[in-house]
Amino acid sequence: MVDISTKISGIKLKTPLMLASGILGTAGTSLKRIAVFGGASAIVTKSLGVEPRSGHKGPTIVKSIAGGLISAIGLANPGYEAFKEELDIAKEGGVPVIGSAYGFSFREYIEVAQALESYGASAVELNLSYPNVGKTGAFYGKHTELSYEVVKAVKESVNIPVFAKLTANVSDIVKVAKACEEAGVDAITAITSLEAMKIDVNTGRPVLGNKVGGLSGPCIKPIALRCVYAITKEVDVPVIGCGGITTGEDALEFIMAGAQACQIGTGILTRGITIFKKIAREMEEIMEKQGYRNLDEIRGIAH
Amino acid sequence: MRVTKIKEIIRETERIRTFVFEEKVDALPGQFVMVWIPDVDEKPLSLSKHKGDLTITVLAQGPFTNKMAELKVGDKVGIRGPFGRGFKIIGDNLLLVGGGVGVPPLAALADKAVEEGKNVTAIVGAITASELLFVDRLENIGARVLTCTDDGTAGKKGFTTDLLRDLLQKETFDSCYTCGPEIMMVKVLEQTKAKGIPTQVSMERYVKCGIGICGHCIVDGTGQRVCKEGPVFRDIEVEKITEFGKYRRDASGTKVYFRNR
Repeated sequence: MVDISTKISGIKLKTPLMLASGILGTAGTSLKRIAVFGGASAIVTKSLGVEPRSGHKGPTIVKSIAGGLISAIGLANPGYEAFKEELDIAKEGGVPVIGSAYGFSFREYIEVAQALESYGASAVELNLSYPNVGKTGAFYGKHTELSYEVVKAVKESVNIPVFAKLTANVSDIVKVAKACEEAGVDAITAITSLEAMKIDVNTGRPVLGNKVGGLSGPCIKPIALRCVYAITKEVDVPVIGCGGITTGEDALEFIMAGAQACQIGTGILTRGITIFKKIAREMEEIMEKQGYRNLDEIRGIAH
Repeated sequence: MRVTKIKEIIRETERIRTFVFEEKVDALPGQFVMVWIPDVDEKPLSLSKHKGDLTITVLAQGPFTNKMAELKVGDKVGIRGPFGRGFKIIGDNLLLVGGGVGVPPLAALADKAVEEGKNVTAIVGAITASELLFVDRLENIGARVLTCTDDGTAGKKGFTTDLLRDLLQKETFDSCYTCGPEIMMVKVLEQTKAKGIPTQVSMERYVKCGIGICGHCIVDGTGQRVCKEGPVFRDIEVEKITEFGKYRRDASGTKVYFRNR
């Protein structure tokens, strides 16, 4: 019997397959559905800020090559205060709920993280990676010192585990990951969507309302995998792999690269909400065939 | 994203225009397309014909639809879709209840139903005579059309739900289809439920991605995505959608409560 359960910062997960932030996470009922019907082992909320944000004008998403999507929703969210009741509903899904937080200052990151802790989130994932809105997200993740400072500030302000989601649009993601580790981060999520764009040749105009966006989906998987491999080589805190994971084979690649768990988002487009159940089954099948009993046995074996 | 040109613009009423594009569709009535005006925005709009030239009917009522009203024949727009779940025709004797710009997807449904040899009765309502949509179009395909306006300038003075009450006292139908203001649809459902008529509702929510990935158009109660599992929902589903007739989420995801209830 194959066991694909895992654990991150003391949070038990029945499978390593979590819902990534920014996907179907605007409402508690949706998060609950992903957990119950979809089979996600943990759910990460839409990134929440201090104030409500309407996000960018459309198109917010355009299909790209090889199952990829380029998107720029623009951190649309109702603000953390409105999310208290959503989190209560999300928790009915019976799996850990991880709150994603962004801010335009250290203070805002702290404010959102503290609120999420008080609402009962199992952990907070700091969005240090979102590429499409000014001085937040990747603005922090692209500066090693800012990443260090914001993680440290939040770590000192909350008791729940703090994750940091990083961008690969930097010269050295390992350096940023190390800075987060030094600041006391409990886990690193890598990677977010890659900066990209689409131009329509009929009109000569960028298609996305924000002109540029983030590329996600199977086409970024090899890049994400390489990042996880590089980070886990140098950093001791658990790494959650994210980027184009669509099949059981994909997920196992990330585990073998050293990931503690995986996050799934764009794969829902091709495989539906039950992708979490499907990938879990595929992982078990492959592991059974290869004679692997659990994830610890294969984690990082590619090193 | 496919870019196409506007082939024809039909002025339906002062504020409502039908746009016909140089592109063919084969869709289900009730499905929608995402329409992109370069450098402006992209919005979901219902198809007003289910096949043939891609056709949408738009009320100029906000920044995007006002911009649409300024477009000319030959202008380029982007199209994604058709998306979502359309109406499913049940039985032989169909009743359509449409209010305002809720009528176009029902007109598409009427076309398909008549093609399939069904009997169609349509209750069409609007605020005033000049805003009544597709009465001639529906009559021309052989549908029985009952009209009403809030101000009594055409048809019966009153609401579609008043006409519906009178009609259901005399007749029954195999199925009912409704699209329009949500408060109207709540009342339609109450009446058809009491008479045991299966009903399908076309819901409107803030759709962003259109492909079921961003989660913005989620409805509370079921967690379904209007762009994917909707916009057409069956009555038994609507009963589980706790926000139906109560609130919707705006561009930020903040709940906005319907006022006139």
